[in-house]
Parts: sequence; structure tokens; C-alpha cells
Amino acid sequence: MSVTLTIDGRGVTVRSGTTIWEAARGAGIAIPTLCHDPGLEPVGVCRMCAVEVEGARVMAASCVRLAEPGMVVRTASEKIERCRAMLTELLMSEQPDVSAKERTTADDELHALARRYGVRPRLRRGAARPRDDSSPVIEVDHQACILCDRCIRACNDVQHNDVIGRTGKGYRARIAFDLDQGMGDSTCVSCGECVAACPTGALVNKPISAPLRPRAELAAIDTVCPYCGVGCALTYHVDEAANRVVFAEGRESPGSRGRLCVKGRYGFDYVSHPHRLTRPLIRIDYPKRALSSEVESSRRERRKPGGIVDYDEVMPAFREASWDEALDLVASRLREIRDRSGSGALAGFGSAKCSNEEAYLFQKLVRAVFGTNNVDHCTRLCHASSVAALLQMIGSGAVTTTYGDVENSDVVLITGSNTTSNHPVAATFFKDAARRGTKLIVVDPRHSGIADHAWRFCRIRSGTDVAFYNGLMRVIIEEGLTDADYIAEHTTGFEEIERAVKAYTPERVSGICGVPAALLREVAIAYGEARAAITFWGMGMSQHVHGTDNCRCIISLALMTGNVGRPGTGLHPLRGQNNVQGASDAGLIPMSYPGYQPVTSEAARARFEAAWDAKLDPQTGLTSVEIIEAARDGVVKGMYMLGENPFLSEPNVNEVRKGLAALEFLVVQDIFLTETAEFADVVLPATSALEKTGTYTNTDRRVQIGRPALAPPGEARLDWEIICEISTRMGYPMQYDSASEIFDEVVSLTDSHSGLRHDNLGATGKLYPCPNPEESDGTVVMFGDGFPTGDGRARFVAAEHSGADELPDAEYPFILVTGRVLEHWHTGVMTRRSRALSALVPEAFAEVHPEDCERLALEEDGFVRVRSRRGEVTLRVRKSVDTQPGSVFIPFHFREAAANVLTTDKLDPDGKIPEFKFCAVRLETADL
Amino acid sequence: MISSATRARIDAEIAKYPVKRGALLPALHHVHAELGYVSHESAAAIADIFDLRPVEVMEVVSFYNMFFDTPQPRHHVRVCTNLPCSLRGARTLLAQIESHLGIEAGQASSDGRIGLGHEECLGACAYAPMMRVNDRYHEDLDVEKAKRILDSLE
Amino acid sequence: MLRVPHVTNYLSEHFADDAFGTLAGYERYGGYKAARQAITGMAPSEVVALVKESGLQGRGGAGFLAGLKWSFMPAETDKPKYLVCNADESEPGSFKDRILLERAPHLLLEGILIGAWATGASKTFLYIRGEYAFPAAQLERAIAEAYDKGYLGKRVMRSGFSHDVVLHRGAGAYICGEETGLLESLEGKKGQPRKKPPFPAQYGAFGMPSTVNNVETFCHVPHIVAKGSDWFRAFGTEKSPGTTIFGVSGHAVRLGLYELPLGTPLEEIVYRHAGGVPEGRRVKGVIPGGVSMPILPADQLDVPMANEFLRERKTMLGTGGIMVMDDTTCMVRAACVITYFFRDESCGQCTQCREGTGWLNKIVNRIERGAGVPEDLDVLIDVAGKMEGQTICAFADAAAWPVQGLLRHFRADFEQHVHERKCPFPESFQL
Repeated sequence: MSVTLTIDGRGVTVRSGTTIWEAARGAGIAIPTLCHDPGLEPVGVCRMCAVEVEGARVMAASCVRLAEPGMVVRTASEKIERCRAMLTELLMSEQPDVSAKERTTADDELHALARRYGVRPRLRRGAARPRDDSSPVIEVDHQACILCDRCIRACNDVQHNDVIGRTGKGYRARIAFDLDQGMGDSTCVSCGECVAACPTGALVNKPISAPLRPRAELAAIDTVCPYCGVGCALTYHVDEAANRVVFAEGRESPGSRGRLCVKGRYGFDYVSHPHRLTRPLIRIDYPKRALSSEVESSRRERRKPGGIVDYDEVMPAFREASWDEALDLVASRLREIRDRSGSGALAGFGSAKCSNEEAYLFQKLVRAVFGTNNVDHCTRLCHASSVAALLQMIGSGAVTTTYGDVENSDVVLITGSNTTSNHPVAATFFKDAARRGTKLIVVDPRHSGIADHAWRFCRIRSGTDVAFYNGLMRVIIEEGLTDADYIAEHTTGFEEIERAVKAYTPERVSGICGVPAALLREVAIAYGEARAAITFWGMGMSQHVHGTDNCRCIISLALMTGNVGRPGTGLHPLRGQNNVQGASDAGLIPMSYPGYQPVTSEAARARFEAAWDAKLDPQTGLTSVEIIEAARDGVVKGMYMLGENPFLSEPNVNEVRKGLAALEFLVVQDIFLTETAEFADVVLPATSALEKTGTYTNTDRRVQIGRPALAPPGEARLDWEIICEISTRMGYPMQYDSASEIFDEVVSLTDSHSGLRHDNLGATGKLYPCPNPEESDGTVVMFGDGFPTGDGRARFVAAEHSGADELPDAEYPFILVTGRVLEHWHTGVMTRRSRALSALVPEAFAEVHPEDCERLALEEDGFVRVRSRRGEVTLRVRKSVDTQPGSVFIPFHFREAAANVLTTDKLDPDGKIPEFKFCAVRLETADL
Repeated sequence: MISSATRARIDAEIAKYPVKRGALLPALHHVHAELGYVSHESAAAIADIFDLRPVEVMEVVSFYNMFFDTPQPRHHVRVCTNLPCSLRGARTLLAQIESHLGIEAGQASSDGRIGLGHEECLGACAYAPMMRVNDRYHEDLDVEKAKRILDSLE
Repeated sequence: MLRVPHVTNYLSEHFADDAFGTLAGYERYGGYKAARQAITGMAPSEVVALVKESGLQGRGGAGFLAGLKWSFMPAETDKPKYLVCNADESEPGSFKDRILLERAPHLLLEGILIGAWATGASKTFLYIRGEYAFPAAQLERAIAEAYDKGYLGKRVMRSGFSHDVVLHRGAGAYICGEETGLLESLEGKKGQPRKKPPFPAQYGAFGMPSTVNNVETFCHVPHIVAKGSDWFRAFGTEKSPGTTIFGVSGHAVRLGLYELPLGTPLEEIVYRHAGGVPEGRRVKGVIPGGVSMPILPADQLDVPMANEFLRERKTMLGTGGIMVMDDTTCMVRAACVITYFFRDESCGQCTQCREGTGWLNKIVNRIERGAGVPEDLDVLIDVAGKMEGQTICAFADAAAWPVQGLLRHFRADFEQHVHERKCPFPESFQL
């Protein structure tokens, strides 16, 4: 249905339901506004956009009034313009002398109107309104607030953080946070969406790493956020002379739709931290040992409660060297080990933080030059089990649909995912869906933020996922809610599941999982009856010794109800790192070449031997935890570590320490001197994501280009160049002119990527497979017509509940669950060097249920010693009911109290992923 | 905090409305009846009961003249100063009450007995000047009558 | 309890009898017969038609035809329909609803019952201002009596019709008298008026089709049903039939309530009924219908008190709250009081209302202090002019009109302040 109306004398035809404001904009008529933003629901309160509608007694706010057939609208008569000038004057009269926005980014929308209308207020402002400086990242000036409510809608409707409101009435009205507290004292998560929405100086960013400056004086670099797998599109505004990012803004994209979280918006300054490595370093301190007190021993007395490494303590162990000297040393030592002890004595850890091009070259170096498949990266520690289950059952490890596809779902299952902390922007879309009435089922032992938005929250006991999902499937089968046609057409092995889940009655499952049987039934029926159900999961599923089984269960659940291959259905393991999908795609895993072509496949090997002109190892390589064990056992002697920090990320740190210390030769290529680098013989200064061109593949399979915003510091070099140098010096010349050229080589060997080039990825990237990138954004939903499994069918694989490896007992009565917090990233190397992020969460803590605190006499902010069979750490107590009684949650970002000192290195047999989510510990009060 | 008796009253209010939130104003009246104001704890508890964001509760509390988010004196004394009352000397009366109590409108007596304020029209225009003491109207006032009423407050 | 009106008519005829407020007393005077007649003997559409024929105008201030409003309620809908009684009487100068609530709660309930039958409403939310504690108690008692007697609840008067009344106390906010502000407040929100369309008949209380009527409006309905539209039309003017209860306040000699036919000349109310102003003083101006309505100077009191005549004088009947000001009165002070009120009670949504009310108040205060400049008068006219007809609700208009009225008729007062740099009315009421 379309509507034709007349705007300023011109006939305009628009879709019915279009507002006058939108209709005018479409016709090239800009109606000024303050409270309206096309990304927000219109409220029509500033009245700046009021227009005359012929025949109406009063003027209409064009942002809310819908276009009607035959309407005659005037948008800029003299009367209207006089009214707008008056509104501007009224608002300007209360403004502070200097607008914080004009003083910083110089894009205050009210001031722009004041200039346009030549307004000089005839009245002085009244009683001063307060400022609120309590947030570390946002400055609030109520004096400059024009009560347009944009921040309120940004907070509540876009990010669903539900913090900002408007208290008071009339002239006393002002924006408020939670219980009318300071912004910094509220539950604000510092996503900054409110600042992005604010038209005046009421909400402005505080400077992060450089003084804020007028937008027009800065270079705008369109790139991708370097943090999580959501891969938000953003723009860095860069002071080129100072070589600093001044501020970051979300950028419109079909994926992230302009949204950002605290890390993306405020966490970019790590790249400018004085700790950046600027020259190659060669170790002079032998015999090798850990250098900083925290790395040397977790027991040792600490000098301060938290914080990053003290360079004075570690740098004396190294001397600066030229690139030539350092590279020659690396090449000669690695070659020497290979020649002496065989290819299997070498190994490499790449990184999911690096680009596809770098991941590809790194695994090519290890495979073609080192001669081994001993190459892995932190995917092993996050979704290895998910990928193992997905490959086994549906023949592909990537997501079957995007996170944004949730808008087409009527039921969403989110399990083992602390989405609001770990994938904050993806979480906003789940919260959108919940707001619209989509049933959100959250299954998790922890009450994480997303559970607040759940239709039903199933708080299962840690490690009982298999039992829970088997129970769910039993109810679905019993209730006749399976999709028989789908099962018949697209799957095999359903009988196996039917048999396996029989024993999982809701009552029995309730006993195992601690979830009421009625709730289990209700949730099963909701999922079973869904028109379209989608499943998102995270590390709560994968990081178990039964992680692959956990994932098998949710895959079976989706298959038996036909919830794959249609809009709003699918399987989506939320990828942790910005390029964990891409690094795996590019072959940075020991079992396959790029594109998941198995190293054990003769045909695949022949393809790569031909392409690379090298003899390749037919044996599957060691996985990351296995490599560390092999190093400890003296089997692996030389390692190349690109951007990984296994000292903090691998389980059972005390064993990792032994492994790293035992290496004959370790080269670490990184942007900071990490805990792992303390064991290095050579340290090579690398470039950050903000300093180079490369592609990153997000959790959705969206391949996006990252562009350089800054010049690298000192002599730091591009990572792919360093790989090429080492390769060439080891006798295998690698020569590329650009990252784009490397990408072309990746694509030539990775069928799923065919057709993609740097120059056709566009501003917001493409979802692979994307056969026609010039025309299309790529493929959202996959496997509508079968699976890449040979017979085209998915295969059901049953699982039995087995429980965790190390159960609590009298000596170690608590369950330790590790994870992350919103403000920090992985091993903290980046985020703890961000002013804002480290100010928000400065140090390590353990989250303990208040009942346990009371029983153990633990005080909020006091210290607790957490001990496992493998080690102990001491850290602050945070009381929280989010953690179940009998459990303790510790984020693993913090070197001063590394959670992985405690964790077990027992592995899932298929995914080879360690059980980070479960081990037995005891808690004791401690002083520090 | 909210006592179980108040909670029961709130639940009874909720039953009257097609949408739970309809009972928010009645619930806040009950909280005031119990505590005299809406403390942060009560606001959080109310937000919980009504599935609201904490700030939504504060928005409502701060919008209405009869709701408070800080502890209140025992008696609310409000002198109407709108036009019909002002025409009949309400502001003069208020000034006299101020000097009698030794506090200004907007303040509370130091013993926490009386909080004095002025208020907009209370619908007693023909019987001006007038004041409201808690729920009770006192009309056709003169200063002596007002003093007697104030002095009798516990 | 409010004193009985000095002049009574059909609404207030029995107010002197305290028993009229009880169910038994009310029934002694024939109470609830009209409701029984409507529910058991008339189709809802007949009731709507009858009220339409009567020409009953809403008595809440806007004067919209009550029967027409009822007819907007969708007949065919699967949604519950609600009636809302606006008892948030807050317009300064108005206290007529209060006496109806205090002395005739059953008359109101009977009117509601008939309205509910006519519109098919299953529930009435009776929104009473929070400060009306005593009237609320009267109503609560009356509602309980009506339930006990089977006049409310399931199967009203043994008919197939059921109806509930929920008494809802406000908490002190003038804007909740605006019908959509009231609906928001009823829903447990800030009383911020809604954008229209949609109108309450489509999207009202809790999103359901709703009709909002003022207390007095409902109170006329049983009389119309009992005695017919012709009888009703015998009172008042052709366009404004019936009586209303005028409240007289300010400097008049006999203050109080007067139930008189609409169209009664203002001077008759002010001089004949209310006795003019005390000996030695003269009337300077009269606000005819609550502070929102522009003032009339003494030489314009010949106007009949009905909208069709008042509009010609650029003012309106409003709530019929008549404020009489004698010649001691400083009109700038009056402006100070009025603008202060509107500044305080603006909900704060729309820019020109939130900020403009403050400007008006600041400028008149400055003029009153003797600190005004000649241009201030132009700024007042400019600001007030740009508050009209541009906001979500009519509050901004209501804030602008009295200022415009005062300037229209008493500009000399303002100019004198500016010229003499002080207030030239030492005997005026105190600020």
C-alpha cells in the first residue's frame, strides 16, 4: 500500500506507514529535529520537526505523524521557521557557556541550529543543573541536556541495558540512572550508545588516549572491532599527527547495525600503550626462567594487588637487536631443531586475533617449512568441541545462520553463553527479540545478564548439560513434536537418539540437573512447538570433557525438530575472538588445511603440496594442550608463538610453565611482552589490528576488511611480513606485495570463499559463501537443501550423561567455573592496557554466593585463597547470587591471580578442549 | 523494605488491574503508608514485583508531588498558594506560618515533626486560605486557627 | 465536607441531606431507577442516542459532546472496553467535582453504570486526584454499598450485564487531568500525555478501547435518562444545554458553588448571586473557567456563560471556576502565580511547554520586581504565541492563554511596572 501526499508543493509517494519526516527525507527535504534519530523509535517531544498540515488546527510533529493520502504538508513556512528559532532559543537559554560537545567533537546539533537561526537567547539561564563525573568514560552535564530522550531509547531500546530514564517533572525533569544514582554508580555497562545518540553536550566521551578534537579535523577510518567474534563495524576517528585514535563510533552494517560495546567503543587505546614493543629483543638472561614475580609463582607474595607486568622486572633479561639479527637467529635456530630432531620437534601457535591472511601464512609456514601439522590456536580452548560435533553431524563447523536471524525466530535457546558479557552486541539482538515476545530460553548454571531477559531460565547444575538435553529430547519425542518429514528427508540415525534418551525421564533429569521436571517439560514443549527455533551457545557447552557430547545433544535437538536450514532456525556457536572463525577456516588447526580439508586426505594433501610446492606431513598434528605437554616432555623443542599467550590461556598453568621453560627455542611475536614471552629467546615486535590491512571473519561467517588507522610504533612490522621473512630465511621464499594478494591465495584454495576479493568485500564485508559478491551480502541461512556430508544428510549422534572429570569432594568442595567479564578480553594483554577498561575492572576477583561467604567468613572486597589440586591463587571476593551456592566463578583475564593455575588439563576426547568450566577447589580466607 | 502485610496489599491491588503495572501508584501509596517514602530498597523491591527497570520506578516516584524518595517528616503541611487562595491572602498566611514554625516552605522542622510547603490548587477555592495536613483539609484559615492546628500535631 | 451550593438545581437539589450520599438515602430520592431503566429497558445504542440528543457537553473543560464521544467506542470488538472517570479535578478555581464526589457518590456511580451499559464497558477506572482523600473515602464506601446491593459486579441488577469499578488514587500531578496523561498514570506511568492519534476510543486504558468522562458529565446522565433529552434541553442554551455547578472564588462577597443553567450571564453570577466585591471596591477582571481560561475585564461580564458566547470573547467556559478580582489586584502578580503553576506542572515532554512555561514565569517575575524592560512584553507575546497549537497536548496552550488574556486586557498594568520599575499596586494580594 502506498500513500501519495504533497510536501512543500511536491507530490511524494511513500509506503503506507511512513512518517512525514521519512517521506520528506526520501524526497530530499531535510526537516530539522533534535529528539529524532532514524535508528530510534520516534517520540515527537522536541517539536523541532513540527510541520503544518493543511486543514489541521495544530502543527504536527513530522517524526511521529504518519503520511496520509492527499495530505498537504508545509515543512518550512515562515511561521514554522520562526517557531523553530524560538525552540532553539528556549533550549539555548539553558545551555552551559561552553558546550562539551562543541569543545570536543564540535558536532553539537543544538548549536548547529542556533547558528542556522542566528539565535542569541534573550533570557539568562536559571538555577544550575549538576554535572556527573562518576563514570570513567562518560561525562554527564545535565545543564546541556535538552531532554530529547535519545539516550534513554539508545540505552533501553537499542542496547536493552535499561539503565537510563527521565525523572522529575517539567523543568525539574532530568535524565537519571537506575535509582537516580550517579552514572558510574549505576548498573551502566559503559557501552556508550547514549553518547552516540546525544545531540548536545549532555553526554560526551571522556578522552581515552588523546584529547578529543573536532570531528572534521580527524581522519575517519572504517574498520572492524578487534575484540570479539561479533565483529562490529566501526569507525576510528584518528588524529594522524599524534598517531592516536581519538574516539570510536559504531558503523552501520547488516550485522552489528551500528552498535558497539564498552570494549569496542573505549578499549582501543592499548595500541598506544607505552609497553608496546618497538624493536626486536634477544634474550641474554640464561638459564631461562620466568621473569616477573607473578609468572614465576602464583604463591609468591605480590607487591601490588593487581595490574600489568612491570617492565623493569622483565626487560633486563633482553637486549634490543636489529631485525636482521633477530630474524636470522629465529630462522637458524628453528631450522637447526628441525634438521636435528625432525619436523615433529617444531610447533606453532597462531592467533585468532590475527587476520585470515596471517593465519593462512602462519599455517603454511608450519606445514610447508617446519614440515609438521603441529599448528593450533586458541580455537582449541573455545569451540573445538563444537566444531568437532558440527563436523561429525552436519559436515560443517561454521554457523548455519547469523545472530541477526534471531529476528525470524519464535524460540531462542541460549545455553552456556554469558552473551551480555562476551558477545554484548549480539546480545542486544537477542534482547530485541525477547522484547518483541520471542521466547528466550536460557540454560546455564550461572545467572548471567541474558537470563534477565529470558522467558524461562533453567539453572542447571554445572556439567549436567547432556542429561538436560536428553531429557528435553525425550519430552519432545513423547509429545510427538519431532519433525518426521525433516528427519526422514535430511537425517540418519534418529533411532539411535530415540533409544538413548529413553532413560532420561523429566523426573530423573530433574534429579541430575536440579531443574524442576515441569520446567523441563514446559521448555521442551515450547521448543518443540516453535515454528522456528534457533540455538546459540558458548563456552559453557564446549569447555567440558564432555563438550563434544554437549554440542551433539543440541545439534540433535535442532535436527529432530527440523530447526536447521530455514530463516530463524539454526545452530550458532558464538565465536569468541574476532577471527576465530577465520583462523580455523584458514587452516590454523592441526587436522586440516584451509577450508577444513583434512590433512589425512590424500587428495587434499596433493592439492596443497601442488599449490605450495612442498612435501606435507600426512599425520594430524598435535593440538594446543598436547603441544604444551609435548614441550614439557621434550618432544617439541622449538616453537613459534604468534600473538598467543598460553601461559594464561591454557589450563593448569604450573604445567604450562614447565612446558614453556623446557623449550629449547621459543620465538614470540606480539605487541606486548606477554607472560609467555618471559620464556622467549627472541621477541619480535608485531603490529596490532589497528595498524594493518587484513580480513577478519566474524561469528556469522562475515568476512570484513580491517584497515590501518595508525602507523605501527617504532620498528614494529606487519605480521605477515615477519612470517615471510622467517620463511624465506629458512629456505622457503615467501613473497607477497600485499595482504590482498595473500587473500587471493587463500580464496584459491578455500572453496567456501570463492569469488571473494578485498576489493569486493565492500564497506561491511560479505557472509561466505557468497558466489556473487557484487550483488549480494552473502548467505545467511545454510543447509536448506542438505548437508555437506557425502550423503547430504545430517547424522544423529547420541550421548550419555557422564559428568565432569574432577567432582567436588570433602577436601575440594567447590566447583570452579572460569569465564570472562564484559570489560576484559582473554588474557588481559589488551584490555588491561586500556585506560577505561582497567579503570572499570582493575583486578582479579572471585564471585562467591553470599551464603557461602557467610559460611566461610568471606567479606566483600576481602581476599579469598582458592586452592585446587594443581595450584592456588589469592584474589578479592565479590558476593553475587549469580553464582550458585557451592560454586565459585573466576574470570581468567588476570595474571596476578590466574584462574588457570587452578584448572584441570583433562581434555574432551574428540575436541581436545580442556574442562575450563569445571574443577574442584577449596576456598579459604586470606590476607594480602 | 516492604513488609509482608504491605506486600499482600500490593498483591490485592495488582489483582484489580488488567496489566500488573496499573497497580504501581496504589503500591507506592502503600509503601508511603508504611515507610513515609520510597527508599532505594523499596524501589528495588517494587521494581522486582512489577518487572520494571529500577529507573522506571524512580521516574514515577519523582513525577508525582505526593511521592518522596527521601525520609519525610511526620506531618506534611501544605498551604495552597494558587490564585484563588493567593487572592485571599494565602501567601501572607504562609509567611506567618513560616515564622511561627521557624522554617521556610520546602523545609522540615528540626525535630522531624512538620514538613512545610506550598501546594497548587486543592479544590477548596471558595474557602481560602486553606492548608492540607496530611490527608486532611483545613479551610477558611486565619493565622490563629492555623497555629492552633499546627501546635496540636504530635 | 464542602458546603452545599448557594443555588441548587437538579444535580445538587438534595445536597443538604447528608443521607443523599448513602445508597439508602440516594434511593429514597429515586436513585438508580434511571440505571435500572437503561440496563433493563434500553439498548445501549438507544442510550447513546439519547445522550447525543440531549446535547450534553463534557464538563471537564473541553466541552466535547458526551454522546458523540460514547459513539466512538467500537461496537464490534473482541477486546475489553473500559470507561474512565476523570476525577482528577485540579484546575485552579475548580471544586465542583469535589462536591459531587463528597455529596453524590451514588449519582456518579449511577451515571457511570449507564455510561458503561451504553458503551459496553466491562470496567470503570475511577481516577481521583491523590489529595482528595475524603472524597475518595466517600466513594470507596459508596462503591462497596453498590457492590453489596448488586448494582456493581457480576450481573448488575440481575441483568446479564456485569460491571466493575476500580477506584484509583492519583498522586499529585495536574497533568493527569489531561485524558491521555490520566491514562498513562492509570497504567502506572508518569502522567505524560500521549501522542494522538490513536485516540482513547481505539487505544485507551491498557491499550483497550476507552472513553474518558468527567465526574460532572456522568452526573447529568441519570437525569437525562430519567427525564428525557427535551427536559434536559430546557436548561441552558440551544448549543449548551443543562446546568453546571459554577464555583466562585477570589474577591467576591458570597463565595461558593452555584448550580445554574449554562448561558447564565457572568455578571448575574458575579453580582447577583455572589454579591459582587466588597463595599468600596470594584471588579477589575474575572477569570471565567479556571486559570487556564483567559481573563475578562469588568466591562465584558455581560457574556453568557456558554462556550459559543465565551469564544467570541477569546475565552472559554473551562471548568466553570470563576475567579473574581477586585481593583486592588495587580494583574502582573496574577500572572506570576499562574505562570508559576504552569511551570511547576508541565510534564516536561515538549520543549516549548517545558522551557516556555519557565520563560513566561521568569519574565513576569522580573516585570513584577520592577526589573522588566519594554521588550519583555513582546517576548511574552512571542513565547506564548509559539506555545500554542504545537505540542502533544493542550497544556502549553492552557499555559499561554492566561498570559495572552492578561496582556490583551491589562497590558497597562504590565507597562506601568516596566515604566515605574516597581509594582504600582501596593494593596494587591501578597506574593
